[in-house]
Amino acid sequence: MAETSWHRVAASVDVREGEAIAVNVGDLQIALCRVGGTIHAFENICPHAYALLSDGFVEDNEIECPLHAARFEITTGRCLAPPADRDLVTYAVKVEEDEVFVAVPS
Amino acid sequence: MFLRNFWYVAATDQEVQAKPFGRTIMNEPIVFFRMPDGTPVALEDRCPHRRLPLSMGKLVGDALQCGYHGLRFDKTGQCVRVPGQDLIPPSARVKSYPVVERYKWLWIWMGDPALADPDKITDFHWFDDPNWGAKSAYLHVEANWQLVVDNLLDLTHLAFVHETTIGNMALVEHAAVKVQRGPNNVLVTRWTIDQPAPPTFVKVGGFTTNVDRWQIIDYAPPAFLRLDVGATPTGTGAPEGKRVGGISMRNLNAITPETETTTHYFWGQAHDFEPGNRQMTERVFEQIQAAFYEDVAIFQAQQRMISLDPDSPTVDINADSGGIQARRIVDRLYAEEQAALAQRAAAE
Repeated sequence: MAETSWHRVAASVDVREGEAIAVNVGDLQIALCRVGGTIHAFENICPHAYALLSDGFVEDNEIECPLHAARFEITTGRCLAPPADRDLVTYAVKVEEDEVFVAVPS
Repeated sequence: MFLRNFWYVAATDQEVQAKPFGRTIMNEPIVFFRMPDGTPVALEDRCPHRRLPLSMGKLVGDALQCGYHGLRFDKTGQCVRVPGQDLIPPSARVKSYPVVERYKWLWIWMGDPALADPDKITDFHWFDDPNWGAKSAYLHVEANWQLVVDNLLDLTHLAFVHETTIGNMALVEHAAVKVQRGPNNVLVTRWTIDQPAPPTFVKVGGFTTNVDRWQIIDYAPPAFLRLDVGATPTGTGAPEGKRVGGISMRNLNAITPETETTTHYFWGQAHDFEPGNRQMTERVFEQIQAAFYEDVAIFQAQQRMISLDPDSPTVDINADSGGIQARRIVDRLYAEEQAALAQRAAAE
């Protein structure tokens, strides 16, 4: 297991149900999304064609790419519909004193 | 690809007169004229005798007379006179189309006449509303209708195509964009906060400070785009819904396919400031018209490239999301119409 480190990326209040927001840790582009009260983090660039998933459409526990309709399960990153052909990388999330932290490889 | 079961704008009310005129819509030749009592009529523009366009004929009383051998047709398309003979063959008739005059346009129904409900006409009340000044115009475009829809759903092009009028780089680099979609609707909301006003806004709105600018694009299929656009001095509360001290306009677009590669483009601009001032209406219109001519040049150049090789690859970028959602709606509606037609053909 690679080493990871925690990075503050957002205020908890800015991550709302039904939409995704984009954050960066260095060069890493990450999307945050709240489902059933819990915040989840996953890579923000669609593995199919470089679209930003945070511009896409969130419905329940699914996010749809804004361009070619690939869909992913938010809580697991699992790919649900083509044209993407792999799951999303996900990142551990913790919330401390209303601040959101994600764990990324150091 | 055309969607049939929709109302389309066929003509401006001024274009429809007693003298017939012909216009092709979705590959169908149609003749428009006005009866002596003012009622507008739309018929197939092709005499069933020797296929001359009936728009080359003239109105005689209540009937349209062909300019070749004088066959006459009533407003339902039925032949009512064949010169030199008493007998009128039952097949001597042309197709007629439901039409409705609304918002200073003539609307036509291109699908199953049984479904032609005027309540389904898309709202363009700004052209009739005394609270707005408005002017509309017609452009003929040698390009597929969906290229026009794409254009209006991705306004980042303003910075590059219209930098002398309604665009500036702030629209690309500093806009917060949100795309929302319903089963038959796409809404693209763009906010550009605390940025310089583009040249046209300075001219008609007199802005001297940075502005908060909104562009809210409402798409309804097949090809109606109603843009709520405007700006207020920055920090005065427009993003929270308080629009004071600025300008608000509607850019209104009704796009009607002529053929797969040509389009009738009806558009207009409405403004809420000095609504009764005709000079202001002209000034606003001229500014926006300059931008629209720039767009038409783009569409036609795109179409030339597409026609050379329709399968040449394209790439999508983030700003395409609205246009892609709209195309997806059109694709779904087209599949539904085709399925219904196939079902009906199977039942017959």
